[in-house]
Amino acid sequence: MIVTTQKPLDELLDFISTYSNILIAGCDGCTQPPRGLREAKTLSQLLELGGKLRNKNFSFKTTTIAKQCDYYLVASMLKPQLEGVEAVLSLACGIGVQTLAELFPEIPVFPAQNTHFMGAEEREGAILEERCAGCGDCLLALTGGICPIARCTKGLLNGACGGSKDGKCELNPERDCGWILIYEQLKKKGKLDLLKEFRPPRDYQLTGWKVST
Amino acid sequence: MSEQVAEAGVSLKLNEDYCSNCSICSSLCPFEAIKRDTETGKTFLEIEKCQVCGICYSTCPAKAIDIIYYDLNSLIKYLARAKQEYDCDTLVIMCRGSAPNFAGIEELFGVAKFIPLSVPCVGRIPEEIYLNAILMGIKEIYVLACDEDYCRYDRGSPVTGRKILALNLLLEQLGYGKEAIALKRNSLKVKADKDLCIACGNCVFYCPYDAAKLESPGGINFDLTACRGCGLCVAMCPAIALELENWEGESISTLISKLSSEMEQPKILVFRCQWAVFPPLDEELAPNIRSIDLPCAARVDNFHILDAFQKGIDSVFIAACSEEDCKQEKASGKAQHSVAKLKERLGQIGLQDRLHFCTVAPRYPEEFDRELEQFSQRREAIYSKVSK
Repeated sequence: MIVTTQKPLDELLDFISTYSNILIAGCDGCTQPPRGLREAKTLSQLLELGGKLRNKNFSFKTTTIAKQCDYYLVASMLKPQLEGVEAVLSLACGIGVQTLAELFPEIPVFPAQNTHFMGAEEREGAILEERCAGCGDCLLALTGGICPIARCTKGLLNGACGGSKDGKCELNPERDCGWILIYEQLKKKGKLDLLKEFRPPRDYQLTGWKVST
Repeated sequence: MSEQVAEAGVSLKLNEDYCSNCSICSSLCPFEAIKRDTETGKTFLEIEKCQVCGICYSTCPAKAIDIIYYDLNSLIKYLARAKQEYDCDTLVIMCRGSAPNFAGIEELFGVAKFIPLSVPCVGRIPEEIYLNAILMGIKEIYVLACDEDYCRYDRGSPVTGRKILALNLLLEQLGYGKEAIALKRNSLKVKADKDLCIACGNCVFYCPYDAAKLESPGGINFDLTACRGCGLCVAMCPAIALELENWEGESISTLISKLSSEMEQPKILVFRCQWAVFPPLDEELAPNIRSIDLPCAARVDNFHILDAFQKGIDSVFIAACSEEDCKQEKASGKAQHSVAKLKERLGQIGLQDRLHFCTVAPRYPEEFDRELEQFSQRREAIYSKVSK
């Protein structure tokens, strides 16, 4: 899931201050927490209230689509809703915002959120944590299913740095040491010998910038 | 209202002078709040555990229990007044837990005009009320109770069933015909719009009763026999794909508009969990305060709160049960979390003080009044300052 957080309302109010008819577009795709119709409607209500306090009357339309990162879907489902719209506030991740901006060159598209990372949701504690760094060369088979690039603060490939204390990272005592997690996981799986294998430095080119489907 | 009980600051009191220690109350109390001391043989009440369901009050043969809410006198007074006000001879006694609030009574019983008597649990209505109503000239009595296994007070609905069975036999012998009192059971249920569902699993996670099932492929399905109609999933659904039957967001929105139009400034709208606040039958709110009773504080949608502000309501006050008292398995805690989140965002535009969340319990009748009074004084002070 792509993890996002809401931008402060005053920042959004600044974005849209010179427009009146605004479309708030939700995304039902992978943004987490969910940024669908509910968030679109709630945001429209909040911005309307915020606008009134600035003596500004906005008129909002709200909608949502399955995923804003899909040119075809945006063109076929979102574009027809743009009549009379002066600006779009996108509830998608940074990718969705860019798709919209590209497809609607004549209308300003603003991000309603900040995009953080690819993460997993732990619902009980209402916490989302980074899990994948998108490196293009998946190592999970060798590390017990725990990514050292995303989970080790330093992104080390060959075991712990030695600075970990009580299972936590020396750079951030709140954060688990990724390599201790890997060690514990490999121990459970009886695969500790995998730790002996040397991994050469990453080839950063593998991350890539384009793939064909 | 029994003044003696009110003086003690609690809603229920056991009067030892009348108690014959028969154990009926202690055997029926769903919360083990009334017990019999095995050594002394005396019956005693632990008010901390009491949820003021009133089952003990309505079943005590010795009239040894004093209760503040919906006691015999206030019920009789209400009936006499309501009979004139509604000008009809049909009475519908309903449990708030199962009663459709906006429409549906008519559909359930086929009556268009009736005197409504809505109480938290029909199990608290003593037999005398049914007989008194008949004496007053009420021709038809309908009782709407929750499904037995859905009853928030566990035994309220079954006890009502037995009471009405016995009363009907008695009334038949007296010549009032068969089944003089008609009992129906009903429960609030969720309904899902599959076209809007995005299969995110929020309802599955939040449902306290495991009623929501997400299948892949297949999408969302609700086990309606497990659903207890608390509405938590409705408030948490990011796709607005869920509604609570007869508690549709739309009808609450219409009600907010109506209330707002009749309120004075500064308008304070109170959302009350019906298990946290038991309003008296002759409740008179200040002209700037109006309330909406909901099946659970979790049913207070962010939309409703913001909708109220948009419609010119000054502030929103939410009264919920504490997590321990919550009749919906911790839904109150989730409601609190969601309100706190909204408050944070309201803070970004300077409106945080206009939203207030508190937990109260009907066992301490003054708690809610005090909390509302304090909040309303704060808002009035701000309002008079600003309007100057």
